[in-house]
Amino acid sequence: MITKLSHTTIYVTDQAKAYDFYVKKLGFRVHTDATMPNGFRWLTVTPPEQPELEIALLTPLDGGMQFDEEAKKAFKVLLDKGALGAGVFNTPDCRATYEELKSKGVVFKSEPKEQFYGIEAVITDGVGNWFSMTQPKEGAAG
Amino acid sequence: MQIPPDVYRKIIYAKKFIDEHFQESINLNAISRKACISRFHFHRLFTQVYNKTPHQYLTLKRIDYATDLLKNDEVSVQEICYRVGFESLGSFSTLFKKKIGHAPRNFRNRAWFRKEQSRLQPLSQIPHCFIERFQVQH
Repeated sequence: MITKLSHTTIYVTDQAKAYDFYVKKLGFRVHTDATMPNGFRWLTVTPPEQPELEIALLTPLDGGMQFDEEAKKAFKVLLDKGALGAGVFNTPDCRATYEELKSKGVVFKSEPKEQFYGIEAVITDGVGNWFSMTQPKEGAAG
Repeated sequence: MQIPPDVYRKIIYAKKFIDEHFQESINLNAISRKACISRFHFHRLFTQVYNKTPHQYLTLKRIDYATDLLKNDEVSVQEICYRVGFESLGSFSTLFKKKIGHAPRNFRNRAWFRKEQSRLQPLSQIPHCFIERFQVQH
């Protein structure tokens, strides 16, 4: 029986920029930041109220990850386009968080809008990914 | 209840005020004054927006900063208690343990151990499937 998700990966173009976005702008906590002798940096962060979920911010383009050239090219195309939709972040108030993050320079693909499941804005991390930022409707899943 | 945009801005401003001044001796009166909203309404609106009372949020900021200092600094627990905005070591320790699950000294020891382990055996921090899949030890 599987009970929970403990680790997941977000592939990014640049780990230093990803650190800046997830830790300094979104307020995630650094769980582990360790660099291996071959340059591979294991950087994991946790959402502020979900300390048991480690999100590994990894770059497939360099830094010691052993992808072949074809795979690296494919990753680069997708990340450069910001095409990877990596998940849904929850917030208690989408509009307030939108205003706050915008004032910190975070770029949004769309402003907060009412959806049947809550209020949603679409946020970009600037290192290859976009997310839904959702204030779930009371009683809705999420 | 929908909050008008100008009130939103005031609540966000107040949260930013907490973020920037949590180390000082601030309380609900000072924070609500910054937002230019009566204490009662400010408390209600802040709680509605952030799912936490202003006091809970302030405490959270202080405890979070304390974890950073305990992980990285050599200053005493008592000094950290004052530096993050608490006035009593007893209430700091109690709240810290309640929120983090360990007393401040215990938390510091565990953080030091993890850091040492990470330095001496960096691969021990990574699930083995990642090491194998990405051949990170080579």
